[in-house]
Amino acid sequence: MRDRVLRALERKGIDYADIRIEHEWRTQVSYEGKDLQNVEASDEVGGIVRCLVDGGWGMVVFNSLDDLEQRVEEACRIARLVSTRVSERVELAPVEPVQGELRVALERDPRTVPLREKQELLRRYNDILLRYSDKIVTTRAFYRDSFKEVTFANSEGAFIVQEQPDVILALFPTARDGDTNIQTAMEHDGWAAGFEKVEGQDSRAETAAQRALALLEAKPVRGGVYTVVLDPKLAGVFIHEAFGHLCEADFLFKNHRLREVLQLGRRFGVEELNVIEDGYLPGMRGNFKYDDEGTPRRSVYLVQDGVLRGFLHSRETAAYMGAEPTGNARAISYRFPPIVRMRNTYIDNGRSSLDQMLRGIDHGIYACSAFGGQTELEQFTFSAAYGYEIVDGRIGGMLRDVVLTGNIFETMKNIDAIGNDREIFGGAGGCGKEGQSPLAVTFGSPHIRIRNLTVGGRTQ
Amino acid sequence: MNGRASAVSLLDRLAGRVDGAEVYEVHSHTSPVRFAFSALQSVRSVETAGRSLRVIKEGRLGFSATTDLTDTETVVRNALDSAQFGDPAPFRFPSPQPSPPVLRFDRQVQDLDESALIALGEEIIAEILAFDPHLQVDVGIDRAVVDLHLVNSSGLEFRDWQTSFAISVSCARVSEGDILILYGTVSSCRKSDVDGLALARRLVERLRWATRTAVVRSQAMPVVFHLDGTLALLLPLMSGLNGREVYLKASPLAQRLGQEAFDPRLTLIDDGRLDFALRSAAYDDEGTPTARKVLIDKGIARQFIYDLKTAGQAGAQPTGNGFRAGGFRGLPDVTPSTWLVLPGNDSLQRILDGLDEALLVEAAIGVGQGNVRAGEFSTNVGAGFLVRRGEVVGRVKNTMIAGNAYELLKERLLALGDQAEWVHGSLLVPAVAVDGVGVASQG
Repeated sequence: MRDRVLRALERKGIDYADIRIEHEWRTQVSYEGKDLQNVEASDEVGGIVRCLVDGGWGMVVFNSLDDLEQRVEEACRIARLVSTRVSERVELAPVEPVQGELRVALERDPRTVPLREKQELLRRYNDILLRYSDKIVTTRAFYRDSFKEVTFANSEGAFIVQEQPDVILALFPTARDGDTNIQTAMEHDGWAAGFEKVEGQDSRAETAAQRALALLEAKPVRGGVYTVVLDPKLAGVFIHEAFGHLCEADFLFKNHRLREVLQLGRRFGVEELNVIEDGYLPGMRGNFKYDDEGTPRRSVYLVQDGVLRGFLHSRETAAYMGAEPTGNARAISYRFPPIVRMRNTYIDNGRSSLDQMLRGIDHGIYACSAFGGQTELEQFTFSAAYGYEIVDGRIGGMLRDVVLTGNIFETMKNIDAIGNDREIFGGAGGCGKEGQSPLAVTFGSPHIRIRNLTVGGRTQ
Repeated sequence: MNGRASAVSLLDRLAGRVDGAEVYEVHSHTSPVRFAFSALQSVRSVETAGRSLRVIKEGRLGFSATTDLTDTETVVRNALDSAQFGDPAPFRFPSPQPSPPVLRFDRQVQDLDESALIALGEEIIAEILAFDPHLQVDVGIDRAVVDLHLVNSSGLEFRDWQTSFAISVSCARVSEGDILILYGTVSSCRKSDVDGLALARRLVERLRWATRTAVVRSQAMPVVFHLDGTLALLLPLMSGLNGREVYLKASPLAQRLGQEAFDPRLTLIDDGRLDFALRSAAYDDEGTPTARKVLIDKGIARQFIYDLKTAGQAGAQPTGNGFRAGGFRGLPDVTPSTWLVLPGNDSLQRILDGLDEALLVEAAIGVGQGNVRAGEFSTNVGAGFLVRRGEVVGRVKNTMIAGNAYELLKERLLALGDQAEWVHGSLLVPAVAVDGVGVASQG
C-alpha cells in the first residue's frame, strides 16, 4: 500500500497533493423498547485525494482503491479548473513531514469481542431502564464501536498510519404520564478505547431511568432573564458551541470585518477566565496524535486571563493569517476534506466552589447536562437536559425545557464566577459543521455562573 | 466489472441458506462545489459504491454493509453472524407489486459539468454582492446522479436512476456588535425547479428588512412561521405521525386516530409520488410501492407512516415509507416522504396586515433540541422580523420562542397562507400563523 500511495503522489507541476485512505470495521447494536432494533457488523474502505494546483483545490473521493494514480490525475484536472476561477491562491503553512505508524493496544479490542457479548451487555442496560418503572414506556439503547486504520500521505513526504478506536454507549429512557407529558432522559459516553469502557455501566442506566421519572414531575421553566449556574457538562457544551466555533479560523480568515471584531488581545471576560483547546488527551474520544493533514495536534489558549489569545488552524488558514498550524484540520471520514474543527475544548479551573456561586442568587436557574446546542457566530442556543430552580441561594425544585440563548460577546462578559471542579466529557454524539457530523470531540468546564442569560419558555 | 459480484449473484449465494434476503446497492456520483468568503473554494468529485445485505434466518434479522463489492464472503458471514441472535423479523421481504413510475431523473442535471456549476455560484454571489459588497456569501452547489438497485429473494428487482440538484446560500453581515446570518436552500431532482437567483433575491429582500433592529418585549404573542421557521411546528408532527413512535407509545397521537387532534383547517399529506421531488420514488428502499396519504384530514388524525418492520411490529400495513437515510450503510427506517400542508385563503401579507404586532419567523436556531416528542419547541429566532400591521419594523435579536406544536395547531391557529413553499426540498408548506407563542427577549 505504501508504495502505491507514494507512487500515485509523484507528480510534477502541482503545488501539493495528499491522499487519505480509511479502512473501518464497525459493529453496532440498538434496542428500542423491548425490541432489538439492529445488530450489525460492517466494513468500509474509501479514500480522498486532494490536489492543489496553481492555488486551487480539486478533490476526489472514492471507494475502490484501484488505480490511485488515476484519482490523483482527476483531482489535478479539477484543481486546474478551479485555479482559473479563484480570487486568491491557496497557500499552505509549512509542516515538518512526519513518518510514523501509531498502533493502539486496547484492553479489549472490540474486533475480537463476540457480537453476542455486545448485544447481551446492551440488553442488560436496556432491561434496567425498562424494569425501573411502569412509567418508562420506551427506551433507546445504543452501542457502537468503530475501529479505523487511517493512512495519510502527502507530496511533501509525510506518511502516517493511525489506528483510531471509538466506542460509544447511549441510554435514553422515555417516561410518560398521560397524553402529552412525555420525558426522555439521557446518559451517554464515548471513548477512544476498547470494549472494557462500556462494561460496568449499570449505575448509568439507573441514573437515566430515575431522571426520566423525575422529569415527569419537573416544572416547565418560565421564560425570562436569569442568573444561571451551569454544571460542568453544560458549561462545556456552551464553551464549545458558543465560543469554540468562533475561534475556528476558517470562519473568519478572509472576513476582515470579523477579524476586527475578533482581534487577538481583545478582552472577552473576567481575569479568571481561561479557555483551552487541548490537542491530545489520549484515551478520550476523537483523540489521535496527528490531524488529517498530518500536523501534530497541539494545545492552544483561546482565552488567557480573560483575553483572546489564539485561533484554531489548518495549514491553509494558518498561512493566510501568518500563524502556526495547530493540528485542528479534521474530517469525519474519507468522504470529506479536513476543515478546522475542535478537539478538546474546556474552561480551566477558577477559584469558586458551587456553594459560593449559589450564594447571593435570590432567584435563578441551575442548568445541568445538555441535549444539544447550535451557534450562528454571535448567536447561540443550547438546551439543558434538566435543571433546578435556585431560590435564596439554594437549589430547589426540578425544572425542564431549559433552553438558553444569547449573544456570545455579551454572555462571555457576564460570566462572573468560575468553579474549581473541572470535568471533561466525551459524549456519544458529536459536533457538526458544514455537513460533517458527528465528529468526536470532548468538552468540559468547572461550574460557571452567568448573569443576565435569556431562557426560553412558554410562559413569562 | 473488476471482479465485482452482482447484487443478484449475492442472493444466489444465499439461496437455501436463509428464509429471505435483500441486497440494496448504490452507485452514485456527486460534485460538491463550495464557495466561501464570496469566492470559489473547492470542487470535489465524490464516487460512492457500496451495498448492504439484510437476511432473515430462522426468523431472525441480520445486517451487514460493505464497500467491497468483490468480496461476497465477508458480508455474507457478517450478516449471518448477526442473524444468529438478531431481532425476530415480523415481516417478509415483499414480492413485486405494481407501482406506476415516478419521474426523478433529469438529463439536464446529469449534464451539468463543473464549469457550469461554478458559473452558477458566481452568478448568485454577484447578485448578493450587488446589494452590499461587504457581505460574506457562502454557496454550496450539489449535483448528484444515483443508481440504485434493490433485489430480494421474493423475486423483487427494482433499479432506478435519480438525479438531484441543490443550492444553499448563506450570507453574513458583520459589524461591531452585530452579526447577521441569513440562509436559504432550493433543491429538486429537476434543474428547472432550482432557481438560485430567485433565492439570492429573496435573501437580499430579507437583508433589506434586517437593516434595522427591532425590540420585542417578553410576552405571549402571535407568530407567523414561514419557510424554515415552519420546522419548529412540523418536526414534532414528524415524530408524532411516525408509526415507530406510535408503536413505542411515545406519540401523543397514538390513541387519537379518527379524532379531531388539530384545527379543522389543517390538512397534511405525505406524498411519496410527487414527480421530481427529492423524496419521491415508485418504491421505497424496501420495495414497497409508495403512495399519497392524507395523515391529517381537516384536523382529524387519519393515519401513521410505516416501514416493513415497524408495520409488522405494530400490526399495521407498510405505507411505502421505509427509506435509508444512511444510504447503503444503514437499515431502512420510517421516513416521511414530501409533506404537504394544504394552503389556506390569505396571502402572507394579508395575514400580517391583520395582526397588530407579530413575529415573522423564517429560521430558528436549535430546532429539534427540545422535547420534540411531546411537541415542545424552544428555539432562538435565527431570522425573524417584528411586523406591526403588515409593516416590517426590523429584525429581532437575542430572542427565544417557545410553545407546544400540538396545542398551537389545535387551539391557537390563526391562519394558513395561500401559497405553499418548498422547505429543504422535503416540505411544501404555507406560512402558519398561531397565537400565544412564548417570546423571551432581552430587549
